[in-house]
Amino acid sequence: GLSSTRAAELLARDGPNTLTPPKETPEIIKFLKQMVGGFSILLWIGAILCWIAYGIQYSNDKSSSLDSVYLGSVLALVVILTGVFAYYQEAKSTNIMASFHQMIPQQALVIRDSEKKTVPADQLVVGDIVEIKGGDRIPADIRLLSAQGCKVDNSSLTGESEPQPRSCEFTHENPLETKNISFFSTTCLEGVAVSIGVLFFIIAVSMKYYVLDSIIFLIGIIVANVPEGLLATVTVALSLTAKRMAKKNCLVKGLEAVETLGSTSIICSDKTGTLTQNRMTVAHLWFDNQVFVADTSEDHSNQVFDQSSATWTSLSKIITLCNRAEFRPGQESVPIMKKAVVGDASETALLKFSEVILGNVMEIRKRNRKVAEIPFNSTNKFQLSIHETDDPSDRRFLVVMKGAPERVLEKCSTIMVNGQEQPLDRSTAKAFHTAYMELGGLGERVLGFCHLYLPADEFPATYSFDVDTMNFPTSNFCFVGLLSMIDPPRSTVPDAVTKCRSAGIKIIMVTGDHPITAKAIAKSVGIISANSETVEDIAKRLNVAVEQVNRRDAKAAVVTGTELKDMSPAQLDELLANHSEIVFARTSPQQKLIIVEGCQRQDAIVAVTGDGVNDSPALKKADIGIAMGITGSDAAKSAADMVLLDDNFASIVTGVEEGRLIFDNLKKTIAYTLTKNIAELCPFLIYIIAGLPLPIGTITILFIDLGTDIIPSIALAYEKAESDIMNRKPRHKKKDRLVNKPLAVYSYLHIGLMQALGAFVVYFTVYAQEGFRPSTLLNLRVEWEKGYVNDLEDSYGQEWTSYQRRYLEWTGYTAFFVGIMIQQIADLIIRKTRRNSIFQQGLFRNKVIWVGIASQVIIALILSYGLGSIVALNFTMLRPQYWFVAVPHAVLIWVYDEVRKLAIRLYPGSK
Amino acid sequence: DDQDEVNQNYLADEEEEAEEEARVMVVPDLEEEEEEEEEEEKEEEEKEEEESQTQETGSAWWQKWQIVNEYLWDPEKRMSLARTGLILVIYFFFYASLAAVITLCVYTLFLTISPYMPTFTERVKPPGVMIRPFAHSLNFNFNVSEPDTWQHYVISLNGFLQGYNDSLQEEMNVDCPPGQYFIQDGDEDEDKKACQFKRSFLKNCSGLEDPTFGYSTGQPCILLKMNRIVGFRPEPGDPVKVSCKVQRGDENDIRSINYYPESASFDLRYYPYYGKLTHVNYTSPLVAMHFTDVVKNQAVPVQCQLKGKGIINDVINDRFVGRVIFTLNIET
Repeated sequence: GLSSTRAAELLARDGPNTLTPPKETPEIIKFLKQMVGGFSILLWIGAILCWIAYGIQYSNDKSSSLDSVYLGSVLALVVILTGVFAYYQEAKSTNIMASFHQMIPQQALVIRDSEKKTVPADQLVVGDIVEIKGGDRIPADIRLLSAQGCKVDNSSLTGESEPQPRSCEFTHENPLETKNISFFSTTCLEGVAVSIGVLFFIIAVSMKYYVLDSIIFLIGIIVANVPEGLLATVTVALSLTAKRMAKKNCLVKGLEAVETLGSTSIICSDKTGTLTQNRMTVAHLWFDNQVFVADTSEDHSNQVFDQSSATWTSLSKIITLCNRAEFRPGQESVPIMKKAVVGDASETALLKFSEVILGNVMEIRKRNRKVAEIPFNSTNKFQLSIHETDDPSDRRFLVVMKGAPERVLEKCSTIMVNGQEQPLDRSTAKAFHTAYMELGGLGERVLGFCHLYLPADEFPATYSFDVDTMNFPTSNFCFVGLLSMIDPPRSTVPDAVTKCRSAGIKIIMVTGDHPITAKAIAKSVGIISANSETVEDIAKRLNVAVEQVNRRDAKAAVVTGTELKDMSPAQLDELLANHSEIVFARTSPQQKLIIVEGCQRQDAIVAVTGDGVNDSPALKKADIGIAMGITGSDAAKSAADMVLLDDNFASIVTGVEEGRLIFDNLKKTIAYTLTKNIAELCPFLIYIIAGLPLPIGTITILFIDLGTDIIPSIALAYEKAESDIMNRKPRHKKKDRLVNKPLAVYSYLHIGLMQALGAFVVYFTVYAQEGFRPSTLLNLRVEWEKGYVNDLEDSYGQEWTSYQRRYLEWTGYTAFFVGIMIQQIADLIIRKTRRNSIFQQGLFRNKVIWVGIASQVIIALILSYGLGSIVALNFTMLRPQYWFVAVPHAVLIWVYDEVRKLAIRLYPGSK
Repeated sequence: DDQDEVNQNYLADEEEEAEEEARVMVVPDLEEEEEEEEEEEKEEEEKEEEESQTQETGSAWWQKWQIVNEYLWDPEKRMSLARTGLILVIYFFFYASLAAVITLCVYTLFLTISPYMPTFTERVKPPGVMIRPFAHSLNFNFNVSEPDTWQHYVISLNGFLQGYNDSLQEEMNVDCPPGQYFIQDGDEDEDKKACQFKRSFLKNCSGLEDPTFGYSTGQPCILLKMNRIVGFRPEPGDPVKVSCKVQRGDENDIRSINYYPESASFDLRYYPYYGKLTHVNYTSPLVAMHFTDVVKNQAVPVQCQLKGKGIINDVINDRFVGRVIFTLNIET
């Protein structure tokens, strides 16, 4: 190998053995982007207008107040804070992904200074000699110097699902094809920019007022109309959900994916590992002419089949002995099903199966010492081993064999029934075949087992067996039984599939497996429901040719990759449209993309699972790409919108549920946020039209939007689902938007207006009690705002200085603010549900709502009584009784909404 | 289409019900389907019309009547087509009832507020001060020899003092004893009498002897009044006094000021004020400052303050509470 110094030199020359990371947008650009999107532009305009307004004021009158400057600064501050917040959120979610990548730093065993050393894979340099053993990830592009039966999984690069043999011969010009080069799994994908677009409306107002007045008016309108806090709340709500989903093993990369997930209408799922447990498990046994079912659940604990028969004793012995798989040492405390095993999938399944039923397998094997063995190979299709028996009185050797059932049966002349050897006659052979076909038809891998006791006189204890010359009988065995294995579905999957079905989500299975296996799994998890048939099933039932069956009669379809290849897009569309239960078998990863595109042509929101590099195009094309966290390649993970940490299909459904919930809750949040916009906008309109002293100031509005309302609107994200969330059809992404007409109309024209009126009542109360009755206030605006009028008469003939009026105006702001705040509490409570009564949902189930309400009140109290003396904030200390003026209106809002909900429940069609 | 039918049933039921509010609830939802439905209806209408044309002319009127009738009320669908109208009506009722609720609220609220006495007066206290003549600015710039520069002050003062004419005061108001409050017990809504404040009290500044209020001689009169506040009473025995001095600069810039009435105070008999509804002819008491010897040809900032118990004249934010600042710049 290289010397360390030479390696260091090369490392310095060539750089680390890593792929150049995709070029990232500079952080500052990302940051600035957050500052100029959507509402931010509007607020910037507002801020600049403020400063311009001050400029005009200042040029007219040097002593003009600094209010506009304060306001402009506050607006700018709001934009910057929101931007910083959004940037921080995005950076955080990017970091989660980054940390995920680095969870398993790759190590390589390298020979340097003539010693084997473990170094991080990125420290490898040209000329290093690397040792690789089974299960390692290839740490770099390497040339094999020596290899023994080495096979590599190139699937992440080429999509070949079969492991490719690799040796030291140079076999092909193409580096991809030649056998002596293995590749570092590559990934080169640009990052996904996170951006949340929020709808907004601009009301442009042009009125023939003084430039200055209309500028200030415009700013007020802008500030009143822009839900400043919405971006922050939506981001927080989504990240809360993302966090909750991460706990449930769905890692969402972009926040908008959370929301898209809720609208998913088709899930294209892989089979292996996602729907199934990704390990062979014994599913059925056949002995004594009977089929027994074995427990295939994740922990295998409940093996209930009849184990009293003597045949089972023999069978279990063969299973135990004719097996080369072994547990890796040092796992005594690990549950059996989780222990690591050296051996192939079937043998592992058998080993674990027998370990669960019989106990210490290794001990049994030790007692029945193995004297010779023929390993399984594809020409023999059987495996055979010869053992001493653990019965001291029995000196015979036991030959045990397992293999493809038909090959095993060929070698048998007798069959064991209830522990007794019987000649293998036609009827028993027929029974065998029936059982074999039945189990094979379930898509299971079937193995046959037989044994033979060698006569002690012919084969004494000292007899030397030679597996090459086969100096022992290999026929006239006694057939003992069949055993079938399958990669069983995860136990949570059937429930998840049922849930999807009731949620109107179509599940399409896409697998590289054999159609029969695929169909069997699809049936067992419910992707193909129990009573639906494929075209082939119908043909078989009616006993007619497949072509004669009306394709539309079949609900289910199993389509192979070859069939898919020959299909035109129109045919695929027809297939997808006419069959509700579809399984694609023997498909290549490339075909997944075709399927996804087909689904998207149906106007569906498609979620696709994938793990290999080849799945990346499909993952990117899909509305929601879901990568597997355990088996997935880095390329798949970076192309995906979501990573399933446990590779479990059920987690996707959880994700969908969370997505729907957050969509519902965001709707509530937005409805809550939009409602008060009317209450904030009306004052400005009334101010201009009716000439009242300004009821609420711009800064006060900001305190509602960014102060009292923030926590309550986030609290709505914690709202539990209204019962029917997974019984609804998926939302139509284009038609059923977050902000739709009914929501806007109801928020603005109903509740919003009631709220505005309620707040005006508080405003009028304050003014009237201080001396200005509404009739006096009308058209008072111009006189009111004249700074030199210091003896303005009120309704009682009292005279007010301009500062006294200003102070009263601020009291009015505070009163209006408190009015809105009190009614927002009612708004918050009614927004908890969209259809159910509050009493059905439970007032106290969502504790966070109460935190929100408390925060609202406390913030308002602090603003009024704590900061009431700070002039720039325009808050004053309000008399305690004014806090309660709006309460009847809040109750009115609540009652009104309850009546609406009742109407909706009584006449559900109208929603 | 099931959904629509439910909607229609609902609407139909609604019409039978009087429950206003419940009706409104579904309106936003209905609106979306509205247009679609209307199109359907129009199509139907057209069909009907085609049919009617093929029939005899004798029944044409009947046909038309039926169409109109169906337009208004389709018995099969149990819905009215004049839906836009209906929705407008529903909205009208909704807003009308809202307005009613609000009016009721405001009305009941106002029942609790007396029209004679303001509920609270703490925002308007302590009293502010204002001067006359007043023309948008507190800078008195005028040239003695150019009447055009001061004529508007004279006009303003004359106009202001019309209400103080002796004849008018004697006719409307009573001569009440000085040095004590003019308290009028009795019901809130009873009309109150007001004390006389005659123009002649202002002597040299009354404009009676010198119709130019001293402006023509460079000795301007400026009247000062205290803002009215319902129920405000100065401390007994210690009437509120007015005192002026140079605000910034040399104190000798103003060598003498004559006050009228000579006490330079607001007599107690003008208090309390009972509000404009009952205290109709109340005339605010005045104090005239006659700046008889002020430095000419330079701006002199003057501050006039109220002095007395319970009077505040040093609020930083409000330069008109208990004091007033103006500049005199008399050119010769």
